[in-house]
Parts: sequence; C-alpha cells; structure tokens
Amino acid sequence: MMTSPEILTFMDLAIQQAKLAMDALEVPVGCVIVEDGKVIASGRNRTTETRNATRHAEMEAIDVLLGQWQKNGLSMTEVSENFSNCSLYVTCEPCIMCASALSILGIKEVFYGCSNDKFGGCGSILSLHLSNTTPLNNSEVPPGKSFKCTGGIMASEAVLLFRTFYEQGNPNAPKPHRPLARQA
Amino acid sequence: MMNNCLIVHIPDKQPHDLHHQPTESVFASIIDPKHANQIVRRLNQIAPLEDLRHVKRIQKKVLEGGQIQLLVILCLVSEGNNQFDSMPSHLQELISSYQLSPFITKVCKYAATSKEEWHEQCKFWPTSYHPRTYNIDGITGFSEEDSQSVLKFMQSALELATSDGLVVNAAVIVDPSAKQIISSACDQIFVWNTCNDDSCSRKPELFCSHTIISGKCDSHETLHSNNSSNQLKQPYTSVSCLYPQQWAEHQSHSRSLYYFHPLRHAAMVAIESSAARDRCLFPGKENSEAKYLELDGENSSWTSSHAKRQKIACANGEYVEKLNAHSHTSDQPPARPYLCTGYDIYLVWEPCAMCAMALVHQRIRRIFYAFPNPNAGALGSVHRLQGEKSLNHHYAVFRVLLPEEALHRCYI
Repeated sequence: MMTSPEILTFMDLAIQQAKLAMDALEVPVGCVIVEDGKVIASGRNRTTETRNATRHAEMEAIDVLLGQWQKNGLSMTEVSENFSNCSLYVTCEPCIMCASALSILGIKEVFYGCSNDKFGGCGSILSLHLSNTTPLNNSEVPPGKSFKCTGGIMASEAVLLFRTFYEQGNPNAPKPHRPLARQA
Repeated sequence: MMNNCLIVHIPDKQPHDLHHQPTESVFASIIDPKHANQIVRRLNQIAPLEDLRHVKRIQKKVLEGGQIQLLVILCLVSEGNNQFDSMPSHLQELISSYQLSPFITKVCKYAATSKEEWHEQCKFWPTSYHPRTYNIDGITGFSEEDSQSVLKFMQSALELATSDGLVVNAAVIVDPSAKQIISSACDQIFVWNTCNDDSCSRKPELFCSHTIISGKCDSHETLHSNNSSNQLKQPYTSVSCLYPQQWAEHQSHSRSLYYFHPLRHAAMVAIESSAARDRCLFPGKENSEAKYLELDGENSSWTSSHAKRQKIACANGEYVEKLNAHSHTSDQPPARPYLCTGYDIYLVWEPCAMCAMALVHQRIRRIFYAFPNPNAGALGSVHRLQGEKSLNHHYAVFRVLLPEEALHRCYI
C-alpha cells in the first residue's frame, strides 16, 4: 500500500521534533497532532530535562492543546469533541502510558514510525487502541475509546535517529554524522 | 489497636492451582542417544518450540539396571488433530529416517513461578525454572514494624482521598529508607481556576465543589463499607483511575471557571511533584538521567559528559527548607536518587494502565493499593503490568487490606 504524501509530510514534521529532542540530548521521539489537515500542536521528549520520565512527546503535545483550548474557553464537551477529530503522528509507537492516555482522550487516529518492542501500547505489548473491544468485567463505562492505528510510516528514519542517539553518547563510537547539540 | 492489616503480594502472574497446571499435548518419541545431537539440532530448525521455551526438549530417564533412555519432543499436537500424518512433512521425514515411534504426552504450558510449581510440572515433563532475579522487600512478608509503616502511609493516602468531600484517588510517594513522604497528590481532573500562574495548577489543591459539575458526582460518596471484607459497594465515579473516560461525560455549565485536565490522575500528579522536588533539591547537577535509555536497556555506554546543565527556579522555598532541615541533622548531603528509584507509592485505588506505566517509567520500587479497580486496573484486574517481561523496570505490587477502623475514620 502506498502511503499518502500527506501522511509522509506530517511524519516528517514529527521527525523534525525528534531531532530537536536529540539536539537537547533527549531520547529522540517527536510528534505532531493534526486537525483538519493542519498541525495544531507538536511535542518532543523532555524526560531528562524535567526529570519526569512521563514527559513523552505525546504528553507534551497533549498539554499544549489542553492549554490552548481552555484558554479559548472551550468546555469539556468541546475539548472531547475536538480530540475525536485529531490525528497523532509520532516517530515511535506510543508506549502503554501514552496509548492509554490517547484512548482516555478519545483521539481519532494514530500514525507511528517504528514499533516499540519493549513498551508499545498499540500492539507490541498491549493493544490499548482496541480498548473498546476488550470485554470488561463491569461494562457500564469503558475505560477508554478505541482508535485507528497505523505503524511503519518512515520507520527507518525513526530507527536511524535512535541509533545516532546511542552512538552519540558512546565516547568510543566514531564521530557522529550530525553535530552534537549546538549549545554555548 | 489497628495493626491487624493484611498486606497481600499481587504476583507477576495469575497463579495456577498447584496441582492443576495447564498443559499442552505434544508428540514425543524415544530416541537413540547416539542420534540425540543430530535430532535436536534438526528439530530446532524445523519445529522450534516457540511458546514452550521453559520446556526441556529432551527428557532423560534412568531405567532399571542403570540403562539410560532419552525422549524428545517432536512438536505440538495441533488442536483437534492428533493423527501422526497431521505432522509437517519435514518431521515425518525425520521420523522415518531415524525410525522413531511418536506418542502423545503432556507438558506444562506456562513457566513455573515457584519451586513448588516446578516440582509439579516436572512430573509431566521436565521444565526449567528461573527464580526471580530481583528480590524486593516485602514479597516474602513484612515485619510488624514495616506493616505499621505501610498502614500509616496508606492511612494518609486515604485521608487525602476523602479530604474534600468528594472521594477521589490519592497518591503518596514515600522514601521508605527515611520513612519520609516525597510527594502526595489527589486526582486533579478539575481544579479551580483561581489564578493564571502556571504553578497554581501544580499544587495539590483540589477541585472542591459539586456545583460546577452536574450529574453523577452530586451525591456525597464516602468510603463507607458495609462489611468487613473491604468490598466497596458505591461506584465512586470521581475516582479517575476507575473511570478514566468519565471526564468526557461531564456537562459543563460555566466555562473557564476551573481548569481541567483529563490525564491528571493522582499518580501522574504525584510523579510530577516528585520531579519538581528533585529539580529544586538538586539543581543543575550532572544528570544521572543521561543514562536513561528508553528503548535500549542493553546499551549502557551513554555517558553523562554532555548532560545539559539546568537552572530551575524553585516556585517556593519549601524544598530548600526541607533540604536545609535535612542537612542540619546529618553531615552528609542527601544522595540524589535517579527518578523514584527505591521509592514506594501508596494509592487508594489500583491504578489504570496510564498510571501503572508511568510508575514503571519513573522507576517506583513498590506499589501499595487499598482497593482493586475491576474496570480499568492494570496491576492484576484488567492488565498485569508487573508481569510484562519486556518492560525495563519491574516493581512489586501489594494490596493493603485495611482494618475496619481505618475505613471508619474516613467517613465524611
């Protein structure tokens, strides 16, 4: 199946975010959130800077949106409606925490780059994007909404970033191809 | 006295009845020991036992008179088809070339989690047993002093959860070595928008009115239990981990009177506060987190030499005061932990998948919760994250069965 040019364009923007993370010596994961064909938020990993290991790219972008929407006076119902029109493009499969968060918010669709064999919450370890279909002990309120999920978009670029990141940290590794963080 | 609390370890796997281990049927055969190497090598190529790695491929029996007999597993018996001719052609060739006579036998389906289980399993067919490589205090039981301490911290989580009239989840992160509370928080899905300062929403202040939220939260919900078995009858719809989706159901009448964030569950907020505390107590130190490798735990070569120096302004002097107070009593500066390594968290309710995974990321050592979460719990109820082998960190999980007095105290 051919990936549409639009999807590639948005994933490329997510990769740019991942590169910003790498420049800041963070694990290089980045994302953008798209509504009606427009990027409305972006985020990148900030776990090292914040010393909060939950500050993944997705959480950063979600917080940007929640802040903006509430500043604009949107109610909870409207915020919930907005999320159901949003797609997320992220360089690596969302982890169990982020997949669960996306399901709680009721996002429409997720496109990701490489899969996440250790923590992945969209098929690799758990399948939280299918949360509606799992039988519940107590089915009055489902814990989350299901969302459509497509992986493998520009996966090799995402993997290359990880590889570069680990090489960059190794003093014995050859000089990396890209310059280290441009900091004073 | 209220020391009759029970602390129950929630294991990595749903335990099986010791004497009723789930089994799987396999084709096996006696083989000539001379051919053992060749046969096993060939079998590993053409019929690897992917899901039965704990099962030994070969069984050695010592017959009467000291003669040794070897038996080998050929392949799984496919469901509903126990005919020899249902085996793949490669296997049939192997069988005929070594003149094997296959028979059906049973092996245990899952790896043993205890020595007792392992002994039972080997009665069917030998398996391998790998005892847990980590040992976390409490798995083998708690001393009287430790259970007192566990109860005390759970009590403070309980008080926090009920402190505002509306019952929510609460989280208390504790350094057990110093018996010190590191941070604590309640669910913050709704917070009064009393100021625009960013730091405001970070304080563990609670949304505390029923008037701006209609519907299911109107009733006073208390931690009332009608019996002594810690079974809660009420729905507790404001507990975010129990009903993570609940936020979207609320009809808001007035806009911008409050701030809301559907993901600010108690555990998430407590993690954030502990991170803020860390940044305040240890500003600009070389980051030990530089070693934090999210996707490649094996790669340990990342050094901290390039770690970014940070300047973080403390929102208030609280943490610095605590630090001073600490150094007053001790000559040595407190050691800086990596994230929440070595810390425990007390939660009133079993966390949802988001919170449970957040606690993996933040390297929490032990989780104590009082009530299970049948709707969305990720530590045994719906999922069991403590048993997901692929994760790069594993905590121990305990349920604290509270004595009646502790619950009665929280009547509102």
